[in-house]
Amino acid sequence: MKSAFHHLSSRPSRSGSAGPVPSHRARRALLHGLAALLLGAFSLAHGAPPTDAEVKTRSEALEVAGAFSNDGFKIRDGHWNATVSKEKPALIQVNLYAGNQYWFIVAATGEAKKIAVSVYDENGVLQESEPYENGHQAAAGFSPDVSGPYYIKVEELEGDPAAFCLIYSYK
Amino acid sequence: MTHSPLFILCLALAAAPLARAEAPAAAAVPAGSANASAPGSAAPSASPSLTAGQMKEAARVDTVTIPSPGELMTALNKEAKPNWQSEYRPPIPTLYNSRVQIALNVGTLIADGYIALEAEDSQQIKNLGKDIITLAKSLAVSESVIARGNSIVDFADNNEWSALKEELEATQNEVKLALEQQHDTDLVSLVTLGGWIRGTAVVSSWIASNYTPETAKLLRQPGIVANMRQKLASLPEKVQADPLLRKIAPALEEIEALVSFPTDKAPTEEQVVKLKEITSGLVTEMAKKQETK
Repeated sequence: MKSAFHHLSSRPSRSGSAGPVPSHRARRALLHGLAALLLGAFSLAHGAPPTDAEVKTRSEALEVAGAFSNDGFKIRDGHWNATVSKEKPALIQVNLYAGNQYWFIVAATGEAKKIAVSVYDENGVLQESEPYENGHQAAAGFSPDVSGPYYIKVEELEGDPAAFCLIYSYK
Repeated sequence: MTHSPLFILCLALAAAPLARAEAPAAAAVPAGSANASAPGSAAPSASPSLTAGQMKEAARVDTVTIPSPGELMTALNKEAKPNWQSEYRPPIPTLYNSRVQIALNVGTLIADGYIALEAEDSQQIKNLGKDIITLAKSLAVSESVIARGNSIVDFADNNEWSALKEELEATQNEVKLALEQQHDTDLVSLVTLGGWIRGTAVVSSWIASNYTPETAKLLRQPGIVANMRQKLASLPEKVQADPLLRKIAPALEEIEALVSFPTDKAPTEEQVVKLKEITSGLVTEMAKKQETK
């Protein structure tokens, strides 16, 4: 898989003031983040208001994912909020299609000093993936050869128990 | 583009409670061994394997675990150049008595939206957007979905195909959230189910007419069907007794067998045709006005 994280090392601001991110993409990413930050303010309108941690981690995950949009990756609207600690990694099943490229992106709260994302096939075998780790943010790029169920594991390598949000994008 | 902050806010509001409502507690799995070496460039600390227990306990979140119809279509686009317009169907009714049927058809219409998107047919997308709104009105979830529908029209007018793909899924999640807020949680998974059946019907139809083993392998989706069957089985008996669901449930068993082939094999042409016939039959059945007693 061609790395999309070359955008991250010199990632433009979400305003699109630098770098090649198209303006509408930058605006969308900015608005995604803004929306996530505003979630708390509207929480009373909903029976199960998102926590501050959920709002913040989703916002950060979307910001990281925004870097892939320039490479044509579409961000799934769904997301997964959970917790992770050094003793208890977190695992979720996904279903992927051969030929597509995927990025699984995780942003955790600051309690996590270092996290990692890895991909396993339906037999539980670790798959080769392209890692990205940046403190409490991490991602794994993966291109399955076989369509079917896979498992995404989120591990905390350093730090205290933390909440996180996982999203993914594909192309 | 008129993708206002309010719409984006709705997107975030829509998805956040859904994910938490559907997600089981994060599956606790043993930490990876420190010296485990991953093949290639996997995460450096990752354990080389998972146990059957860990996989069984893994979280399954509808909006993450079940792929969108667009993902399957994207994969098919890598293998071939389908004529997506040939997979259109005539407009379906937008007035039903059964809420189960409405929920299923919201899903099928969203999948139709992905087909029109692949065909880059802005007029068709706008037509479908209107139908989705009309159906949503009969579920009394129209306000937030109308906003989405308007957004879809704006994107279609501007040929913003990439944004439309995300907006279609956001619309589906908006409907699901509204259903949850109305305590119609039983219907939420039916929206997903309808979309998946329609998406699989379209792709299997194309593959059946243009069979190659490589494209047929894309139809391998055992985890999805197992997940959906489990969801259907967990619905209240009253909902399961719906005439439409009583037809879908046994059909899913057949579908699961057809999409659960080994990783190193492709389904035969006959099997693909069979899958197309079952799923297309269900799509027709879902769209048909049910006889009232």
